[in-house]
Amino acid sequence: MAARLITGLTSGAGYALVAIGVVLIFKGMRILSLAQGEIGAFGFLLALRWSARGVPGLGWHISPFVTMVVAVVVGALVGALVERLVVRPLATRPPLDALIATLGIALFLALLEKEMFGTAAHFAPSPVGDWKIELFGATLTAPRVIAIVALAIVAFALWLFFTRTRFGLGVLATSGDPVVARILGIPVTRVYRFVWIAAGALAGLAAALLGSAFGGIAPFDMTRFGLSALAGAVIGGLDSIWGAIIGCLAVGAIEGVVGGTFETSGTAELAVLVLVVGTLLVRPRGLLGSEAAA
Amino acid sequence: MKPSQALALFAAGGVLAASFLVGDVKLSILVGVLAVAIAALGLDVLVARVGELSLAHAAFFGIGAFTTVNAGDRGLPWPLAILAGVVATVIAATIAGLPSLRIRGLQVAITTLAFQVFAESFLFTRTDVTAAGRELVRPPFLEGDVQLYCFALVCLALVLALRHRIAVTKASRSFFAVRDIETRAKCFGVEPGPTKLLAYALSGAIVGLAGAVFAMKAGSISAKEPFLLFESLQLVAIVVVGGRGSATGILTAAFLVKGLSQFVTTVPIVDLEPDRIFPISAALLLVIAVVAFPAGIGGVYRVIGRLVDEVFDPAGARPDPRPQPVDPAAAEHAAALRDVPRAVRLRVPTPALLVADAARVEYGGIVALDDLSLEVRRGEIVGLIGANGAGKSTFFNAVSGLGPTTGSITYRGEELVGLSPARRSALGIARTFQDMGLVRAETVRQNVLLAQTWLVPTPAAAGLFGLGQSVREEHDLRRRADLALELFGLGHLADVRLGDLPYGTTRIVEIAASIATGPELLLLDEPSAGLGPEESHALADSLLALRAELGMTLVVIEHHVPLIARVCDYAYCLESGSLIAEGRPDVVTQQPQVIASFLGRSDAATGGVSA
Amino acid sequence: MSAASVLRVEGLASGYGPLQVLFGVSFDVRPGEIVALMGSNGAGKTTTLRTITGQLKVTSGSVFLDGDDITRTTPDQLVRRGVALVPEGRGMLRDMTVEQNLELGAYVVRDREKVREAFDRAYTTFPILAERRDQLAGRLSGGQQQMLALGRALMSNPRLLLVDEASLGLSPVMTETAFDLLLAANRTSGAAILLVEQNALALDLAHRAFVLEKGAIVDAAEGDVVRHMQQRLRKAYLGTAPDLDEAP
Repeated sequence: MAARLITGLTSGAGYALVAIGVVLIFKGMRILSLAQGEIGAFGFLLALRWSARGVPGLGWHISPFVTMVVAVVVGALVGALVERLVVRPLATRPPLDALIATLGIALFLALLEKEMFGTAAHFAPSPVGDWKIELFGATLTAPRVIAIVALAIVAFALWLFFTRTRFGLGVLATSGDPVVARILGIPVTRVYRFVWIAAGALAGLAAALLGSAFGGIAPFDMTRFGLSALAGAVIGGLDSIWGAIIGCLAVGAIEGVVGGTFETSGTAELAVLVLVVGTLLVRPRGLLGSEAAA
Repeated sequence: MKPSQALALFAAGGVLAASFLVGDVKLSILVGVLAVAIAALGLDVLVARVGELSLAHAAFFGIGAFTTVNAGDRGLPWPLAILAGVVATVIAATIAGLPSLRIRGLQVAITTLAFQVFAESFLFTRTDVTAAGRELVRPPFLEGDVQLYCFALVCLALVLALRHRIAVTKASRSFFAVRDIETRAKCFGVEPGPTKLLAYALSGAIVGLAGAVFAMKAGSISAKEPFLLFESLQLVAIVVVGGRGSATGILTAAFLVKGLSQFVTTVPIVDLEPDRIFPISAALLLVIAVVAFPAGIGGVYRVIGRLVDEVFDPAGARPDPRPQPVDPAAAEHAAALRDVPRAVRLRVPTPALLVADAARVEYGGIVALDDLSLEVRRGEIVGLIGANGAGKSTFFNAVSGLGPTTGSITYRGEELVGLSPARRSALGIARTFQDMGLVRAETVRQNVLLAQTWLVPTPAAAGLFGLGQSVREEHDLRRRADLALELFGLGHLADVRLGDLPYGTTRIVEIAASIATGPELLLLDEPSAGLGPEESHALADSLLALRAELGMTLVVIEHHVPLIARVCDYAYCLESGSLIAEGRPDVVTQQPQVIASFLGRSDAATGGVSA
Repeated sequence: MSAASVLRVEGLASGYGPLQVLFGVSFDVRPGEIVALMGSNGAGKTTTLRTITGQLKVTSGSVFLDGDDITRTTPDQLVRRGVALVPEGRGMLRDMTVEQNLELGAYVVRDREKVREAFDRAYTTFPILAERRDQLAGRLSGGQQQMLALGRALMSNPRLLLVDEASLGLSPVMTETAFDLLLAANRTSGAAILLVEQNALALDLAHRAFVLEKGAIVDAAEGDVVRHMQQRLRKAYLGTAPDLDEAP
């Protein structure tokens, strides 16, 4: 039980990295992105292909650690591209339009992955070493430990960013009212680009850690991880980073404990559904969300 | 009939006739396409009319299909099996729609997503649900591809008819009201909760029928791929690429996404297998459509239709967006608007129509209305003045039932506190809002009909099928709408989208919509805001006319003192939720506390009164 | 004269898509003065302001700031060049504190020392804002929000302040407060102010005034003549026909 809980929490840390990206985008643009899972997966699958078959034209077989770096960089690039081509024109339209657009992007990327890398799962060696630690009876592989560490670092960095930097304040202002932010001289388009790049990079990092933690990754796998992340973000409140972390840890824990305890398939999904709907019914804005997230 | 409509009918007939010529195998593919198209039309009811996105429609589709097969396998005759499929889906969709009673928009989309994930991993993994190995016995006359295709077409026709009924009855108005003005619509008698559940149920019924068509086609279902999240996303793609709200566009998109790949063997230029390139193109199209063509294929059809009409009728008369001079007879006819059945409990008229006694509104620790007491007498025009945040609009909310109020507010002796907003409207109270309480995306007539929702006791669901008194009621409503629009010289604008009209005209439409309900007491919140000097002057005339010709009593919130001075018999001045002065306007505006709180030292504002 | 203008607008035309709203608007604002741009609803006042600040595309005509062509500039460049905008409806960032709102007013100021001075100035001018520095802007009263909007615009130490309908939706007494604040800001900071207004009270503090009708300037006045313009506008507003022959 405790072992399953701990393992589940480490998966939750991975979801939280994706969910923080979702929250950043929501804070910056009032847009809910359903594409973060696939944005992360695309870079990591590409890196795994390069690791197995060599970088096209150069023939280098990149090392596991580099696969993670590639996933982060490609995630950031895809994020930037999506922001420029798709989301920016939708910034002033009803929020449902942007939601549908990110859904289309998720679908497109998943099918593109299927086209490029096939439907089979790709073996993902750990990018952070092959060591393990024992904790309350749980054996945690390196990617799981690093997921927790990375989550702590990212959370702290973002806290500094929003409370100590001018640009961070600018992001908050843009989330409050983009028109007013622009009038005050805040480069709003740069804010938009920033949140998408940061979210894409975080998704890439999460894909590399989650993918290797589960031993391998196939197209559409990250859709599932992305959904868990989304569930966590909604539970925590769409515009609260701390809420997203708590929500995702809760989702990971439930998946670990319920999924491991009951034989019947789908019980974990049922539990997550109950948690999401229950939280929203009691508190539409989520645990820590502001009124704007309701 | 417009030339464009004739052309559309002709084209639809041509496509239908041609579809029978494609051969049996292809016809069977088309049955599958129609099933998906019907599912998409069901999703569209939610997306276009209520503004909510469901990502669980593939799961609903599956529930419909599986239930139909299961029911058939248990020996139910086929019509009952289909009915079982539809009913099961209605129940599932209504349950999935329950969270929308409490949350909105994005969050609802997420809960439906969670429902989809739950359905595919919990429900569709059980053999007792998935109907594996079971079989539906088709009646002999449905054996054969042509017969099945005709059956699917009949189902499509049913769905299109249902969508048409939704569009022209109370259901449509309730839907767009909860989509755009949920809280305010309560004053019109629209109940958001039941309305949303009705939308989910209707959407579920259509998708359930789609599932039944799928089941009839297959007989038995072995794979669950058509019911997974991926297909939910494809349904969204079909609706958006086709164009939200456009049935023809959605049918076209369904064929492009689901059918075309089976009709071509190879895709030119890229030279790829169609079943690999088509899904990914659909995803790309979805993104492009949302970003660049939100109206979708349906939008393209509309543009073509407009062009055709312009060729045949180049003048293309466009109505003057301003109110026209009113036929004096219109005012006489409009007296019929007062003919509204009222609750018999109302007491004998007293001089005081509306009496507030220590009415109090508090929220978030702020006292917005501090034990306010005032009265409005029959036939008066009463002005309500005061600084921003003094509690004027809060008082209107308290009277119309849009906020928790304590104390007492009586209307003709009837206690209002505790009554629903719709009930208060039915007693004869109507109001306007400072910033538009109507739906811009709909026509003037639809909005005026919406305002009268509480006049129709028949539920929207019954209205869809013309049950009970609904046909007579609907006819009566339209007559009232026409009378009200004529009264304000707006008759020629009835079919113009409200959002396409100038601001000043939209304000008049809002007043016309409240008059259409035949109120005795009309609450106007800053009717002159945003109007120019001439328009303000004309507004004052119509307010006086409303009293003279329709015998109405008015309460007017205004900042524009000359208007108050001209039309009001009596004025109340509020500050921080309390009354600080009352009396005739010229007296009130001279009082030192009013000048200090509201008018200021300058003579600019009082100039109108003393002049 | 034109070289000395802070802001000079020449033959400005623009609109929303196919709908043209402005048909050649020309006026100027000189250093340190208050100019009122009057006009009724739909005359093109807000469109003019949006066009000047780069929120709408210019179809033809030019805008000059200190003699430099800024016709196609972005809002953030404008702030950097010393132009600040007080938007319609005050533009509060309601979920942020008073201090954060002010800090954001100085977003383009790189020099922390100058930002500190700006804070001192704002808190001296509006002591109530200093008292409430940690309160959310949305919790302030209407008048305090008006102070914050103005204080925030002054944080970047602008030479030109563009004020969009400071009186919209305000009661007369609050309108006066808003105008008093503007007058004080003009006197203490020396910033020129362009007031875009519907309310004739604005003419009380204007050195010069222009009247906009149907997207073009139809009337201009300077000095004492401005008061007569007020009489004319007031009559128009009360619905009696304006007496245009009235001797100034």
